[in-house]
Amino acid sequence: MTKATKTAFSGAVLAGAVAAAISGAQLVTATDAAAANVKCYGVAMAGQNDCAAGPGTTCQGTSTVDYQGNAWKYVEEGSCASMELPGERMGSLEPLERDMPS
Amino acid sequence: MQSAPEKSDLNAAGFRAAILDPVREKPATVEGPRGKQAVKRFNVYRNNVTVSLINALADIFPAVMRITGETLFRDMAREFVRAHPPVSPLLFLYGHDFPAFIEHFEHARRMPYLADVARVERAWLTAYHAADLEPLDPQALAKIAPEDLEGAMFKPHPATGLIRSPYAAFDIFDANRNRETIGRIDVTRPQDVLVTRPGMDVTVTGLPQGHGAFFASLIAGDCLGDAAEAGARASSAFDINEAIGGMFATGAFLSVTTEQT
Repeated sequence: MTKATKTAFSGAVLAGAVAAAISGAQLVTATDAAAANVKCYGVAMAGQNDCAAGPGTTCQGTSTVDYQGNAWKYVEEGSCASMELPGERMGSLEPLERDMPS
Repeated sequence: MQSAPEKSDLNAAGFRAAILDPVREKPATVEGPRGKQAVKRFNVYRNNVTVSLINALADIFPAVMRITGETLFRDMAREFVRAHPPVSPLLFLYGHDFPAFIEHFEHARRMPYLADVARVERAWLTAYHAADLEPLDPQALAKIAPEDLEGAMFKPHPATGLIRSPYAAFDIFDANRNRETIGRIDVTRPQDVLVTRPGMDVTVTGLPQGHGAFFASLIAGDCLGDAAEAGARASSAFDINEAIGGMFATGAFLSVTTEQT
């Protein structure tokens, strides 16, 4: 926890890393950071941050009816099938029934 | 004319509990004009509360919903809403328990990476609403004498969140939030994800090998020397120059202290 613990990373190594990082970091700070400090509305990709501030910050209509149905028969409507689990089942939702013990 | 019921009256009358539990009867204190039953009226309200909370989760966790599809997501969210109603009226604070809930949700079991993707999304919104504070100025570190650097300790920026996943949480998050089409993703590649907000924009960074251990150590309050060792232990590819560069580039830290100060 303290500098008394001698590590493979000496002061000189760390100081060198700090110096190297600063020369690179200043480029970032000078240009991008200033621009990033202005909030841009209306340019966000749909579904990303068109409601960036999250729920409760906009007035949402609630005309949806919650059917409270627990059908548990899920068709593959999401992107889960793109996620590969080698050696295991794929992310697919469909095999639910196939996994049932007979 | 009756005065509006106090909050405590609503709780006592079972109003709060009945709102999220469709099996419960309408609370007796709720009635229609001229003492009529108001079951339908109460159900409208009950529906709106449930739907708005499910919608809130859908807004907070769009990548999770894209992965599961809307039907499964809303079913999962409904169960969560009933088991974990909000504790704050500020909805952007909702859903911190959702990732843990997903982990144990039967129908999400074949998506073992899903909970970590949810953790990244929750950290995203937390970072968005974190205090506006300037991250650590790299020059503050340059001012520290080389012999004191090893013992330097850092305070994390309030926006900073680290998710260490045994799955490809960054790739999955990034593809499902930012890409129109998703190629095949090998989910078994472990990834550490750092969420920060150096300016006004939330930044999500997939960390290089060893950096997850490095940042975790620093966030836990370890000194720079120990954190560097943790990074090197975690991966032979760990590069201290790159790691310290990452500290500044991501704005993950707020301030630095040494033993001398």
